[in-house]
Amino acid sequence: MEERNKNWEPKIIAFLCKYCASAGADLAGVSRLKYPANILPITVPCSGSVDMQFIVRAFEMGADGVLIGGCHTPSDCHFLRGNFKALKRVSVMKELLRQIGIEPQRIRLEWISATEGKKFAEVAREFTEEIRKLGPLGDKHE
Amino acid sequence: MSRKLKIAVVPGEVCGGCDMALVDLHKNLIDVIGLADIVFWPIAMDFKEEDLDELESIDIALFQGSIRTEKHKEIIERVASKAKIKVAFGACACFGGVQSLADLYKLEEVLNEAYLKSPSTINEERILPGESKANPYKITAPKLVEINYKVDDFIDVDVYVPGCPPPKEIISEAVNKLIKYFEGRISLEKGTVIAGTRTLCDECPREKPEKIVIDRFKRIHEVRLDPSKCFLAQGAICLGPATRGGCGSPCIKANMPCRGCMGPAPNIYDVGAKLVSALPSLVEIENEPKLSDDELSKRVTIMDPAGLFYRFTLGLSRLVRMVRRE
Repeated sequence: MEERNKNWEPKIIAFLCKYCASAGADLAGVSRLKYPANILPITVPCSGSVDMQFIVRAFEMGADGVLIGGCHTPSDCHFLRGNFKALKRVSVMKELLRQIGIEPQRIRLEWISATEGKKFAEVAREFTEEIRKLGPLGDKHE
Repeated sequence: MSRKLKIAVVPGEVCGGCDMALVDLHKNLIDVIGLADIVFWPIAMDFKEEDLDELESIDIALFQGSIRTEKHKEIIERVASKAKIKVAFGACACFGGVQSLADLYKLEEVLNEAYLKSPSTINEERILPGESKANPYKITAPKLVEINYKVDDFIDVDVYVPGCPPPKEIISEAVNKLIKYFEGRISLEKGTVIAGTRTLCDECPREKPEKIVIDRFKRIHEVRLDPSKCFLAQGAICLGPATRGGCGSPCIKANMPCRGCMGPAPNIYDVGAKLVSALPSLVEIENEPKLSDDELSKRVTIMDPAGLFYRFTLGLSRLVRMVRRE
């Protein structure tokens, strides 16, 4: 455990919807905005297609935080209602994690539109710092 | 088969329900006894731990209950080393069972609550399991292991027989399969689960609407359940969508939503997370766009999601292991 702590950097998996958040992340890139390399983006068809099992898998594979990026509510979703599904799931998933003993702040849901490259970079910075403060997943409990 | 099979029934952390289920085979049990000798079954016959020493080999070992103490672990490993076919019998042996919910707390908190703090406890000398502090009888309760383990955390399981307790039909099927196996008529794939291969929802006879829409989740005492309609459509949480079928749905027939004792359906990675994906999205589908994000999150409140979704299966949760073990 200690060895892991020395050079520990937060690892964050970001599930970004193809139509908004992922396009927003692209915009952050082409606009040459700086954001931490701790975020590993995975483009998904819709925030509503993110199964909560993906989060469990991400944590198990060593992620310390999971970001889900979708289109703004109420009416931006390409599939009309996918972002609402993500919102409802994430709110219950946070309670489930809290009960298990994992900080619910390790999941973050953000609405990021294709024009909000700046917001994506800000969220990435903020979230990385938040996870850095929380420390590696599972370390504090025993 | 020329010789009789040797069967051992080995308890871990048990309630006795699985033994009842075996006894409940009625006359079929007599058929089984015609084919097999019971060489160890402490709860039903007079067997002691020492009797295990005399056993050279066991054909079928039925492991019941989870592994909560070092004693359970020792006995189960000892029997497993002599057994040809190892069967995890019941939800506790297969998935950790209800008592796995204790793993939502640290071991220290669990011991504190059970042995020191609870109002019905008198323990002036503050003796905990595993401590051989002076007591006149020199009895030491075995020490607890760090979390509540399922049987296959320590031994290779050949056959899983889920259920709390396993329903009669499933036990009979398991018995038939095992007898055929020992007669050399079939082969057994390691890790065979004796149960359905579909979800309970697939088999459910209740009337299900094309699209389920509810305003909020209700707890079971808040709603008078219609015995012919889908529980979820009535707002009651039912674990059918992610639970393995094949149990004969006794709960559903008794107008009680599924609580998941048959364990996750095939190909489910984490049953709790799967149910979180499946159920909350049913709430307020019609009114979504009219509600603010905060309001919508408030309406999907589910009381105690971990206790509900992992009621029998928290022992399978990888997340729990990440935070509870070093």
